[in-house]
Amino acid sequence: MTGLQEGVAVGTGGAASIWLVWAYNSLVALRMRTQNAWAEVDVQLKRRHDLIPNLVETARGYMQHERSTLEAVTQARTQAVAASAGPPAQRMAAESALTAAIGNLFAVAENYPQLRATENMQLLQEEITSTENRIAAARQFYNDETMRYNTAQATFPRSLMARPFGFSPGTMFAADEADRANAQVKF
Amino acid sequence: MATEDSNISVIGPRDRESFFDAQRRNRRATWRLSAVSVLAAVVMGIPLALIVTPLIYAVALIGAYIVNYFLPLPAGFWQQADRFARFAMIAGNWLFAHQPANPQSLALGAAVLLLPGAILSAGLWLGVNALFRRAGVGGALLALKAREPNPADLKELRLSDVVQEMAIAAGLPAPRVMLIDAHAANAAVIGTSPDDARIVVSRGLVEQLSRDELQGALAHLVASIGNGDLRIAFRVTSVFETCGLLVALINSPFGPQSRRTLWRILRYGLGGKGGAGGAEEAAAVAALLTHGAGLETDDIDRLFDTTSSRKSRLRSIRNFLLFPIFFTNAAIKLSLWFFSSSMLEPSVALLWRTRIYLADAGAVQLTRNPDGLAEALRKLNSERGPIPGGEWASHLFLVNPGGSDRMNDEKPDAERQQMLARVWAASGGGNSSNLSPPASADPPSVLKEIAATGRAAMAGDQNAIARMQAFRQAAASALGTTPAEMPDWADIAAAQHGDAAALQHLGEFSRKTAAQETQTDSGESSDISRTGFVGFHPSLKRRLKRLDRMGAHVRLESDGRKPWIVIAVLSVLLGPPLLAAVALLLLLIAIMTMASLTFLVVWLAFIHAAVGLLGLH
Repeated sequence: MTGLQEGVAVGTGGAASIWLVWAYNSLVALRMRTQNAWAEVDVQLKRRHDLIPNLVETARGYMQHERSTLEAVTQARTQAVAASAGPPAQRMAAESALTAAIGNLFAVAENYPQLRATENMQLLQEEITSTENRIAAARQFYNDETMRYNTAQATFPRSLMARPFGFSPGTMFAADEADRANAQVKF
Repeated sequence: MATEDSNISVIGPRDRESFFDAQRRNRRATWRLSAVSVLAAVVMGIPLALIVTPLIYAVALIGAYIVNYFLPLPAGFWQQADRFARFAMIAGNWLFAHQPANPQSLALGAAVLLLPGAILSAGLWLGVNALFRRAGVGGALLALKAREPNPADLKELRLSDVVQEMAIAAGLPAPRVMLIDAHAANAAVIGTSPDDARIVVSRGLVEQLSRDELQGALAHLVASIGNGDLRIAFRVTSVFETCGLLVALINSPFGPQSRRTLWRILRYGLGGKGGAGGAEEAAAVAALLTHGAGLETDDIDRLFDTTSSRKSRLRSIRNFLLFPIFFTNAAIKLSLWFFSSSMLEPSVALLWRTRIYLADAGAVQLTRNPDGLAEALRKLNSERGPIPGGEWASHLFLVNPGGSDRMNDEKPDAERQQMLARVWAASGGGNSSNLSPPASADPPSVLKEIAATGRAAMAGDQNAIARMQAFRQAAASALGTTPAEMPDWADIAAAQHGDAAALQHLGEFSRKTAAQETQTDSGESSDISRTGFVGFHPSLKRRLKRLDRMGAHVRLESDGRKPWIVIAVLSVLLGPPLLAAVALLLLLIAIMTMASLTFLVVWLAFIHAAVGLLGLH
């Protein structure tokens, strides 16, 4: 082997290993971002759980005749909190049930002008609306990040090393039927 | 078949673009325009360096003479200086007298001529950067009188909630929100980097936008933070501030104004004051500097001003001694003005526009609702108005707070007329004057009626005066000001009859308003984005067109587009005179530069001779 060939071989090997390190690190960074985005969804779901007792308390004073509606919300919340530790599918089902229950509560609250006029209730409604939006935003961000992560794994140079180094495509959120039905609820 | 197909009206735009594509396209455009801007800065820097360098040498030589007097410098120093000067001569001869020279000494000569000026400018730029980076955003917030939103107020709570939502959608830490109590609807991002970014929102915006629109508007701002626009804005501003500092430095021998500015900067830079006071000082200094970047002539005027102040002998001697610097000064200002308004500002303005489009596309990505932003922009454009204290940063706002946009020019006027009519009707309600019949519905006739009553009041009709006074009160409360800010009708009527006291009142009043107007004027002239030919804000129509391509349902007026023929004819007609004007300006700059050089050389020769006569050399 001549010196030139040796140099070329060493150069190629060096470049390849530098690229490998860069590609590995970039995929890890993308994976971290998706995990971080997922954590944000968690945070916002938790925030919604925390807001609900307050909402139910405020509404109870004005809505004595709607005991069942209020209880449905409380129950849905309890189930959602219990499902937090469970598998994602079960958890998402519990959260959609909670979304539906809250939507129902606000729909019924339309019939109680005094309740709707309460400042506290207005602020609470705003908080809940915002939290729903935040959950949606966090999911959207998670989906964007997952898309970037998956694209990076699937496109050419990095697709060579993604599988061998143990990267696998992330799953995205899809709107389920319950969510679609509830998308029309207006507060 | 094909013709039939083309007749089917397409719902939505024909050339759709996804927000990802739009972002990629605008990022590329930013890169291209940054390259152009850097090129423009370099091209602007060459004549500046050529003008400044001799001055630096002159100052250095005088310094060397002084040092030599106390502590004789080695002969090697003078030899080196001589060698450098020779290289500069070679380059100068090559350029002006077309004498041949070998490339090596030519390059050295160019370096000798250009480097000191370039190093000085770069040093000033770094200094300005360091100075204002340390200052942060506190001063700007103080100038705007921004406050924290109140979480107990539903609309303000909604504002901070929406910011949180958009920050989550962008995956950014939520920026802090501050409110300004202004009627105009607008919002801005203020800061030097994403870490200290603040979103500043006027109360008018919170009042007027629906939740979707608020989301669109704030998504634009959050996207702008995420895109790193603050760094770009900071860098751009610092370039203009450096130009201002350079002018202030060159001006300082003549103008007390420039000396004061420099002194303030020095005190601020050395003092290292932290906290609110320091931040406020930084904002004031920044405003002074961007003001100085304009073609400021006060100080020079004062130099030739022989009528108002008696010229002391000392001053005339000083002016004679500093005469060469006067030409340097004029040459610097002229070339700064010419190059910055013809090259640097337009390219930077276009660069900034790509950032605005990029943030618009980012907002669509965050909200997935182009209609929200489109509607918000439309509303903000019609509810536009100045933000007190924010004039210097108009490029950071969502829509241009000042300036006029052709798309909505007549509408605010009609609104103002309607408001006047409403106020007129309201103020006349309890008044039994026969001069105010029931207010007619259409504003123009009401305006005529107001004018007629005003004339009657001036003629001395007591009823009319009472009517106008009531109107004055009502208008003041409608505008949110005090009646003292409008002329008193009793005074006007009395003044018609020659009442001295009333005349005095009116005189005071007009002085006061004049003072207020000059105040706002000086505030406006310090705004970097309004001095150039190309605005930093794209027109509403362009932004809506881009949002339309991303799926917003906006109705764009297809008429009103200037036919290209007209533009082509105009450019053919106006092109040659414009070119001639540009050539003339360039020639003037060259003459100024040469004059400055010549006078400097003469000056230095005088000093040299004087030193020689004194036998110090």
